[in-house]
Amino acid sequence: MMLSRAAENLYWMARYLERAENTARLINATAQVLLDLPRGASFGWDNLVQIVGLAGLYQQAYPESNESNVMDFLVSAQRNPGSIHSCVKYARENCRVMRDVLPRELWERVNAMYLASLRQSQNRMGRVERRRVLEDLIRDKQAASGLLADCMSHDVAYQFLRLGEHLERADMTTRIIDIHAAVLIPGSTDTADPVIAMLWVGVLNSLSAFQMYRRHGSNRVEGEGVMNFLVRDPNFPRSVVYCLDEIETRLANLPHNIDPLRALRVARRRLDRMTAEDLSAAQRHEALDLIQGDLAQIHDAVAAEYFHFHRDAVPVEENTGTQRQLSSQTLGSAFQSN
Amino acid sequence: MELGLERYLRSDGFDEFVGPDHAPRPAARALCRYLTGLAEEDLMARRAAVDAAIVTMGITFTTYGDGASIDRAWPFDPIPRVMAASEWAVIDRGLRQRLVALNLFIDDLYNDQRIVRDGVFPAELLANSRNFRGQCRGMSPRFGVWAHICGTDLVRDKDGTVYVLEDNLRVPSGVSYMLENRILMKSAFPELFEMCRIQPVDGYTAALYDMLAALSPRMGERPVIALLTPGIFNSAYFEHSYLAQQIGAQLVQGTDLLVGSDDVVYMKTIAGLRRVDVIYRRIDDDFLDPDVFRADSALGVPGLMRAWRKGNVAIANAPGAGVADDKVVYAFVPEIIKYYLSEDPILQNVPSYLCFRDEDREYVLANLDKLVVKPANESGGYGILIGPQATPEARRQCAERVKADPRGFMAQPTLTLSTVPTLVGNQIAPRHVDMRPFVLQSGSLYVTTGGLTRVALQEGSLVVNSSQGGGSKDTWIVEEGA
Repeated sequence: MMLSRAAENLYWMARYLERAENTARLINATAQVLLDLPRGASFGWDNLVQIVGLAGLYQQAYPESNESNVMDFLVSAQRNPGSIHSCVKYARENCRVMRDVLPRELWERVNAMYLASLRQSQNRMGRVERRRVLEDLIRDKQAASGLLADCMSHDVAYQFLRLGEHLERADMTTRIIDIHAAVLIPGSTDTADPVIAMLWVGVLNSLSAFQMYRRHGSNRVEGEGVMNFLVRDPNFPRSVVYCLDEIETRLANLPHNIDPLRALRVARRRLDRMTAEDLSAAQRHEALDLIQGDLAQIHDAVAAEYFHFHRDAVPVEENTGTQRQLSSQTLGSAFQSN
Repeated sequence: MELGLERYLRSDGFDEFVGPDHAPRPAARALCRYLTGLAEEDLMARRAAVDAAIVTMGITFTTYGDGASIDRAWPFDPIPRVMAASEWAVIDRGLRQRLVALNLFIDDLYNDQRIVRDGVFPAELLANSRNFRGQCRGMSPRFGVWAHICGTDLVRDKDGTVYVLEDNLRVPSGVSYMLENRILMKSAFPELFEMCRIQPVDGYTAALYDMLAALSPRMGERPVIALLTPGIFNSAYFEHSYLAQQIGAQLVQGTDLLVGSDDVVYMKTIAGLRRVDVIYRRIDDDFLDPDVFRADSALGVPGLMRAWRKGNVAIANAPGAGVADDKVVYAFVPEIIKYYLSEDPILQNVPSYLCFRDEDREYVLANLDKLVVKPANESGGYGILIGPQATPEARRQCAERVKADPRGFMAQPTLTLSTVPTLVGNQIAPRHVDMRPFVLQSGSLYVTTGGLTRVALQEGSLVVNSSQGGGSKDTWIVEEGA
């Protein structure tokens, strides 16, 4: 038995945590790429803000696009609802409201993440400190995910957590792929080639995917191969298709899943039908935009089915098998912690 | 560490740790030995660990009007308060007696009103009671119990006598802090629990579940229990969440519930509507049902009273139970006990002056500098005048309020609350305390082992409310002679 409001809180808590982690990955990857840029090439800081879809808000808040401003905006800014600090703060608020269904250790961990983020947001960080802080955050988030996987009943609440986590992850993966667009290289394609390859390594590294790409993807690091791996590899847990499969599994465990599953299958079919041309440099943007649109449709279907309550809904039949099983599960776990 | 018990005793009050002979009282001997043997740095390190644990665990409360943050760390003192098991056994019996009598009283008021007809409880007091709910007339909840959960505030005066200060029968809070305090102490001072025979406190949540489950209107089914909270901005939200988790209840807000045309209460779930059998409500009567009480309430559930009157849902505490949570009614509790149980009260009331009685009012107005004046219907320490510490202007304003609404006020002599050792900086100093045990009643009765001890952290202060700067301590009921 799961309240609609509770389901929504859990879903968003997982999304916020996942967004914080991926934003940290995006920033650390960018910082690595910057170090390897050849003379003459420049990095478009405003593109980074565009990638996460916050260009408008950024322009209102900062006079110019430079590293210090963009990093402040993405890492610490209270006025940016998508900054890492804000994401952790919202995740904590959602976690706090849901302490009755979440393992106690999760609250303690998320609360600790927030307290650390609050301390760090007090002043602007240099590159070395920033890297360490973001790596810590990624580790903390991974520990939180592991804690949920290992210490929480895989009940209805858990399905919503994983649903939110994987929808956000799929979306952020498509955005991180776009990072190469931020680098502007003047001159001939000859000088550009090694730089572009280096950029793709940066993308893979940011998603902890380089090693797995070497093992399971193609040998050369080049655009189409990386794109194909990050979008369509069925076994890499940050690829879009893997996330969709995970979402499908979660939806299958939920009641009334017809509409969300339909939206999921639309997205899935599009990935299956993508051709090499769709994944090529020329078509890449369009393809990623379409995937992001499909993910938004899945979110809308989930929200309409589970979060937004309709007054004319019919009472659930009492004592149906699954309902009883779930309510006794909730009760059992509550008494264990007693 | 050097405790300095000779220096420690200095007030004319009653100290629970040290007797007038400057020696620890029998129940406190083991603790005293332990503290004496503990290095100061060690104690400081443990306090730091406890403080860190409170922040990490997110044990918080909220102070109203504290705009910046909605939650603050719970102020906790690591020196436990010790009480002898033999003394506690008497208090335990007294608390049971008191709640049984109060429930008979409430049930009577909403039905035959025998106690009024027999002239024991004045009719005009009932007529002027703000917490008497006409909408509850003729109801008789299961077991005849209206106040299922009672938080009774106890204080000890300078001669050592324990008095009941008030009975909180509406939405008493604090029990989660009592439970958390024990967890904190166990992690910080595990060896103490081997040295002393300390009675456990953690049976409360199982007792709470049993009490609520016994109220379910659908016998034989596993009851669906919901804890109704006003939401995250309420000062006790931490507790609501904690208790829901501990008893396996759904933590709901008013908007999560609706009452169907079948007069049954449902929760809005991801799978549709689910019936609710028992509501442990943590919102006041006024906000429960906008159709019946305050129409502007966004916290409650329209139709809830209808469902309750039909017997389709149990509500704890029952609507209207607050009629006995009134500081004027309080003064009648000794008579109420005698009337319904034909027994003498085991626990004493603090002598009270009821301002609606002309003679009492004259006395109160003439002695405002010696008395504590309390509004009949407030809680949380709001609106109280502590005469000896108040400014002349505050006393004058209080006198005006009393004259304007005599039924709304009562007064009591200023008690010198007992003190217990408290860690202040790196010294141990006496600070005033009260205690709130929790009593449960439905099919059977349950009393917590000890209760929540609240401590006034300011030197000499008698205000222990956490909303006004108080802290808390773990409370130990110990077998003597250990």
